[in-house]
Amino acid sequence: MDFTYSPEDIAFRDELRGWLATNLPQGWGETVFLPEDEDENAMFRLDWERKLYKGGWNGIAWPREYGGRGATLIEQAIFAEEMARAKAPEGLNIIGRNLVATTLLHHGSDAQKARFLPKIISGEEVWCQGFSEPNAGSDLAAVRCQAVRDGNHFVVNGQKIWTSFAQYSQWCILLARTDPSAPKHKGISFLLVDMKTPGITIRPLRQISGECEFNETFFDDVRVPVENLVGELNGGWRIAMTTLAYERGPEDALGRQLVFRQELDQLLATAAKLQRGNQTAIEDSLLRQKLAKSLVAIEIMRLNCLRAFSKSLKGAPRGAEASMNKLYWSHVMQDMFDTAMEVLGPLAPLTAGDARAVDGGRFQLAFLRSKAFTIYSGSSEIQRNIIAERVLGLPK
Amino acid sequence: MDFDFSQEQYMFQDTIRELLANALTMEHLRNGATEELWEQLAETGVFALLTGEADGGLGLGFTDLALVFEEFGRALVPAPVAAAIVAGGVIARFGTPEQRAELLPGHGEGRLRLSPAFAEAGTTIPSAMTATARPAGTGWTVSGSKILVPDAAAADKLLVALRFGDDELGLALIEPTRAGVALREQNVLDLTARYHEVTFDRVALAASDILGGKPDSATVVACFDAAAAVAALQMTGMAARTLDEAVTYVGQRKQFDRLLGSFQAIKHRCADMAVAVDACRSAAYYAAWALDEAAPDERARAVSMAKSWCGDNARFTCNQAIQLHGGIGFTWELGLHLFLRRIKCEEASFGDADWHRERVIDATLRSMELTG
Ligand SMILES: Cc1cc2nc3c(=O)[nH]c(=O)nc-3n(C[C@H](O)[C@H](O)[C@H](O)COP(=O)(O)OP(=O)(O)OC[C@H]3O[C@@H](n4cnc5c(N)ncnc54)[C@H](O)[C@@H]3O)c2cc1C
Repeated sequence: MDFTYSPEDIAFRDELRGWLATNLPQGWGETVFLPEDEDENAMFRLDWERKLYKGGWNGIAWPREYGGRGATLIEQAIFAEEMARAKAPEGLNIIGRNLVATTLLHHGSDAQKARFLPKIISGEEVWCQGFSEPNAGSDLAAVRCQAVRDGNHFVVNGQKIWTSFAQYSQWCILLARTDPSAPKHKGISFLLVDMKTPGITIRPLRQISGECEFNETFFDDVRVPVENLVGELNGGWRIAMTTLAYERGPEDALGRQLVFRQELDQLLATAAKLQRGNQTAIEDSLLRQKLAKSLVAIEIMRLNCLRAFSKSLKGAPRGAEASMNKLYWSHVMQDMFDTAMEVLGPLAPLTAGDARAVDGGRFQLAFLRSKAFTIYSGSSEIQRNIIAERVLGLPK
Repeated sequence: MDFDFSQEQYMFQDTIRELLANALTMEHLRNGATEELWEQLAETGVFALLTGEADGGLGLGFTDLALVFEEFGRALVPAPVAAAIVAGGVIARFGTPEQRAELLPGHGEGRLRLSPAFAEAGTTIPSAMTATARPAGTGWTVSGSKILVPDAAAADKLLVALRFGDDELGLALIEPTRAGVALREQNVLDLTARYHEVTFDRVALAASDILGGKPDSATVVACFDAAAAVAALQMTGMAARTLDEAVTYVGQRKQFDRLLGSFQAIKHRCADMAVAVDACRSAAYYAAWALDEAAPDERARAVSMAKSWCGDNARFTCNQAIQLHGGIGFTWELGLHLFLRRIKCEEASFGDADWHRERVIDATLRSMELTG
């Protein structure tokens, strides 16, 4: 057991720190923040992603031949830490970088890797994930969106829903039914769809936070060249499972942990200033206990990730344990934002724009956003099923 | 960076697990017949592990014992065993050469018994303790009383946390037979060991009886932190065991023509228990590492995170395990009550969850230079 970084790791960290110091906008995090307008915000994040790429800091985990650094898991952990420390913006192409690229690296043809990976890492092409449908959410294998072979194309018809970032995306990974007569897991194919193809309509959906990050996406006779099939025809389910394994992995969780810890630090600082009766909120022993619970739980989230990393470093396969991680952090974080609302007390109802809103309403926004944690990337109930059946071996 | 154990550490865990599976059955536990256990464990080297090589030990650390303590919890090894290891570790670290030479070889062989005496009727926290040593001639006299001292009657030396004057605390080595020391066996929730109330009535203490030769609060806090971390590790093992018992049972028991484990309400409880146990491991293993490697502030933070989390979550898994067994879960026969009872004792010992959480937030606010 060893929690120190090697000299190479420290050199890597210092190089990244140096780069961040010169490349983040002047006053970043103090006087300069992310734009408030959603579209401007997205473009800002895309510009940042391209800047990262130019500096050699995008897709660091990718193999060198595709423009990455072949970063070790430890370097990925350091990267996540440093980005959080600098409060650096998150690139826009999360799905492209983390999910599509990893899936293509595992299952894509050489031609697909050569065509798509360079433009993902450079931030030229943003991706979205067309998996969920109105009648296929948790039961993802029930997808009905159809792809019918017609010469050198598949013709896609159907609807996807909850498609995050579709409005900013050039490409989409799509799960489509290619054999309606086969058992449901065996008739699905994994397609790469150009979002400029005629027949695609995107309709934004407003979320409980008021934002519109996700969309309904309609496909009417959308023609997809056959070379955009990943893996085998009707073999898409297995490929989608790879995508999901990375969506729930510790790389993702560690970065989140650091951001959550910063939210909590901000909450502590706020609680030390907020007057509640004849004391500050932080002096209230009940609130202190709740805040301390969140502190402990968030620190354990980090330790969970480091344990998972260490197992991976020794070659342990990625398994259902990722579900434990996700189930853990999603609830811990929802609890923390519940506590945040309690800390704000009488001011809790005041949102961004009100003169008395605490810290510009950031906790209200985060509280609302946190409701998604236990739904996306597999809901908590689905994670519990996975843990019970695949980790604990309970009967189906 | 490696938050995992070595091959050797896992092998040692296997050895201990096998030994305990044979040496410590439910029968043994119910009948309190665990005397041979000390010898059997001594042969594996667990008592000599923390002792420096110069004193005939292995010179290893709490990290090397983390999985062992987890196994102790899983098998419900009676509390005096881990307590003795903690006391020995503190003596190895802070004892004078004479104290180490006198106590550690016998301790390492499992013949000389050490037992820490910390808790008082009013507190389990060092800074609030009232048992006091007052200057008398060239030495001191000790008055006060300690409760829940693990098998004080079988101990050769007690390691007693005392107040020396207003500001300083210290650890005194006192044999339970010394004049002025009185023992009373207590009725305790935990059924796997004896515990005593130990009363000190003007007991004479020489400088050579004080760990390190003079009072030093750092020794008391280090002992407290080690004991709290070991409680967390043992509770992790208890949590893991109660999860296993529940999963095994619901995987065999049928009602409504189905295995109970196929009902989603049951599965989901088991999944939540598994997540809780996994997080116990993260917290408790880190605390073990911090005992060996971290500066006192970080050590305190790590220990307090683990003690509060593991206490809450061992209680949670044990409660769930009893519930998932139905009527048989409530019986004396099944044995889950032994875990329920022991966990409650561990929870209350060496700072309860609320106290440890307060320590975490206090340290965090101070490190952020926030007051309150
Ligand atoms: C913010 C956000 C972003 C998203 N982004 C994307 C995206 O980019 N691309 C994409 O494809 N999808 C996306 N999703 C969709 C997400 O993956 C689904 O919402 C999720 O899988 C749940 O499916 P559902 O909404 O159909 O709910 P349902 O499956 O209908 O579930 C409803 C409720 O029933 C429970 N339930 C369902 N099945 C079971 C069962 N077997 N046992 C017990 N309980 C059960 C669920 O846990 C849930 O509580 C996003 C969702 C959110 C909230």
